[in-house]
Amino acid sequence: MEERYAIEMRGICKSFGSVAANKDVNLNVKPGEILALLGENGSGKTTLMNMLSGIYKPDSGSIFVDGQEVSINSPEDAKRLGIGMVHQHFKLVDVFSAADNIWLGDDKSGAVLKKDRYDVIRDMAKKFGFDIDPRKKVYNMAVSEKQTLEIVKVLYYGAKIIILDEPTAVLTVQETVKLFDVLRRMKAEGHAIIIITHKLNEVLEISDRVAILRKGEYITTVDTPSTNEQQLTEYMVGRKVELNIQRPVVEKTRPLLEIRDLTIKNDEGALAIDHVSFYIRGGEILGVAGIAGCGQKELCEAIAGLRPIEGGQMIHKGDNIVGLPPKAILEKGISMSFIPEDRLGMGLAPSMSITDNMLLKKYDQSKGPFVDRKTGRAEAKQVIADLEIVTPSTETPVRRLSGGNVQKVLLGREIKAGPNVIVTAYPVRGLDINSSYAIYDILNRQKQDGVGILFVGEDLDVMMGLCDKIMVLCHGKVMGVVHAHKTSKEELGLMMTGALDLSHKYEDKPAGIAKDSRIGENEEVEE
Amino acid sequence: MKNRQPLFHVVKRESGSPGRQILAYVAAVALALVVGAVLLAVQGVEPLTFYKQMLTMGIPGSRYPWRAVENFIKLFVPLLIVSLALALAFKMRFWNIGGEGQFIMGAFWAGVAAMNLGESLPRPAMVLVMAVAGALGGGVYGLFVAALKVRFGTNETLLTLMLNYIALYFLQFFAETKADWNFFLDPESARPKFAKFPASAQMITIPIGPFNLNLSLVIALALCALIFAYLNYTKRGYEIAVVGDSPNTARYAGMKVGKIVLRTIFISAALIGMAGAFHVSSAGVMSASPTNDVGWTGIVVAWLAKLNTVGILVAAVLITVLQFGCQTASATYPAIDANFANLLQGVILFIVLAADFFTRFKLVRRGGKEAVK
Repeated sequence: MEERYAIEMRGICKSFGSVAANKDVNLNVKPGEILALLGENGSGKTTLMNMLSGIYKPDSGSIFVDGQEVSINSPEDAKRLGIGMVHQHFKLVDVFSAADNIWLGDDKSGAVLKKDRYDVIRDMAKKFGFDIDPRKKVYNMAVSEKQTLEIVKVLYYGAKIIILDEPTAVLTVQETVKLFDVLRRMKAEGHAIIIITHKLNEVLEISDRVAILRKGEYITTVDTPSTNEQQLTEYMVGRKVELNIQRPVVEKTRPLLEIRDLTIKNDEGALAIDHVSFYIRGGEILGVAGIAGCGQKELCEAIAGLRPIEGGQMIHKGDNIVGLPPKAILEKGISMSFIPEDRLGMGLAPSMSITDNMLLKKYDQSKGPFVDRKTGRAEAKQVIADLEIVTPSTETPVRRLSGGNVQKVLLGREIKAGPNVIVTAYPVRGLDINSSYAIYDILNRQKQDGVGILFVGEDLDVMMGLCDKIMVLCHGKVMGVVHAHKTSKEELGLMMTGALDLSHKYEDKPAGIAKDSRIGENEEVEE
Repeated sequence: MKNRQPLFHVVKRESGSPGRQILAYVAAVALALVVGAVLLAVQGVEPLTFYKQMLTMGIPGSRYPWRAVENFIKLFVPLLIVSLALALAFKMRFWNIGGEGQFIMGAFWAGVAAMNLGESLPRPAMVLVMAVAGALGGGVYGLFVAALKVRFGTNETLLTLMLNYIALYFLQFFAETKADWNFFLDPESARPKFAKFPASAQMITIPIGPFNLNLSLVIALALCALIFAYLNYTKRGYEIAVVGDSPNTARYAGMKVGKIVLRTIFISAALIGMAGAFHVSSAGVMSASPTNDVGWTGIVVAWLAKLNTVGILVAAVLITVLQFGCQTASATYPAIDANFANLLQGVILFIVLAADFFTRFKLVRRGGKEAVK
């Protein structure tokens, strides 16, 4: 008997204007199977899935559900066919409760909000083995809870085919493990699952088969057990790629930036950073690991002068920078770049050109009342050439660029300013392998030039490869600073959850305080 | 499930060329005029003659053709300045819909200056004093809202809107209260009535033959060029663009966002106040409702032009021709009144927005790849 596919796409083509997003793509998933869809940024993964969920229509090609040819014209059609998609950016109404968010899209629910909806949703969630509070408002939820809600939502609507667009990009290691458990359970119940990701280790862990797209073209589908990271990367990038992150050894200088007993509150007034001490030397990369939202953002903002501190010292080359305005801190050569979850929020003006974005931190250094766009354009050209940024021109608005290029513009500008301390948070957030490695190269070159780098990251494998030392935060407290080449993922994981505290490991040497500190003893006694 | 496809689906165009956009706008205006023609014909008015009269603004065949142009300018200048000023605020994503109130406040303080100092100052000095008084009056009125927003994060849309009505009734109080202290009113008249400004408080005009060029037009056009340069080439303009695009980024770049908002809104509201001062000075007398709705129409003009300075100039001319032309043309037709201009304005705006859609998207017919428009 011919094998029945839960969903099959044949010869799908889709173009936007003259850009072909998908060219002759074939894809199929069986019930009870997890298919990973792999490809670099801009390879057309999301476009392809949007055609399944009814957001776009293919220009040509056909889609079969359970062997029947179908035409999906709208998200309602997709829902009726049992296709549910969990988008990268959650489609939830913030001020509604979990139950109401589900109720909202239910055709059968009618116009009246019934009292029993909370129970109905709770029972449903329990049936699938989820733990959600149906009365909780979405704005009170953590990212992983929102994601769970999205999954419950598509299951509630009766989805048999579930598509997840980069579900792990916003999750911690532990949350990812939980998500994968959920996916395996759904698979056991006969759901067909398509998961978009570009984290290769996850692909190998969770999927049964892997389909690979490159620049909109369908490359091949392979069985997961018979492949490995190297092969997948080659399919994805189209050539051999060195998969080892370099960690050049550079002679370290005296501490450039020292943080002593720093305490910061978050927007809600709770302690975000709690008596933290650390230092960064020139020529080293200090990683900051921690579960999302345990003070990383507040720490970065405080160093850049964007957030007032409650107490403690921040000493840059022997000068106190506490209380200085952001501009003065920039002028000292401390650069901060924070890539938020939406990737455009801080550091770039998205609808302005690359040229204008190059000028962001120095527009007022030129003489006279006018902005010096000539210099900006020259710098934009140079950064575009140096970092191989793909753009039609220097005058293209930054938001038109793809994610990797946007981040290169941001880092390019920061490096151009010749900083001596770089604070960078999530610089490879959402980037594919090729672009990520380009960013690591940029950071390593800076390190070799004697710059001190604070690297706030989420991927432990990357941090263990790239950083010299890793500082682990848990609820705003330092759990210890470890040498990246001596630690293990397990140790870091334990520290991240607070189960292991190495900060008092050595009696004689308090953690986070340099031997050759620039902070004088008398200064410390002050206050 | 049957294979059902909609007749058309929407496809994004590659990138709208400016030529196509201008073409679309011209077509939209033409289409709006056709719709207007149908409405005119229904009321028994010959559309072509009406339009002819409207577009020429009754100038040919008039006994005083220059008077028509002078009156046109009196309508045009406030609209142009207000639209430019609003664009400044909108560029920063500050939704100043308080143009009406700022205009009234400008007119009011210019009136205060005119009635109290008019006798003692020579004309150039008096006009300058009125412009400054109007600018300060409008500017402070706007600054108040900006300060509340910066300090307490209040919603500027609500506040500017409500302050419009406060300004309006504030002025009406002076218009209707007959009392000895009320220097605005004509002491001769038994009923409350605004007194004429002293001669030195009348707007300066430059005589060119039979035509008297209103100085405020020269100033308005100069402002046009200044604001274009301000927004596009200066550091201040750059700051406005960054704050409008992403306040977080601005803060991160070391900009003092609060200061930039205060400064820009003061400039915006001060320009609107100055337009109010020019308006009453050109009219030579206060009025209880001086704005002629420029605070609202200015919003339409600014967005029609997509906040582009040159576009604002064009759109302001177009809207003024429409309003002034309808006013003159409707004098001949009892069935039509000046409200027809508002109706036509609405139709134009609606169709231009639709045209905007077609410059960015196209419809593709079922099955085929052929573009319909």
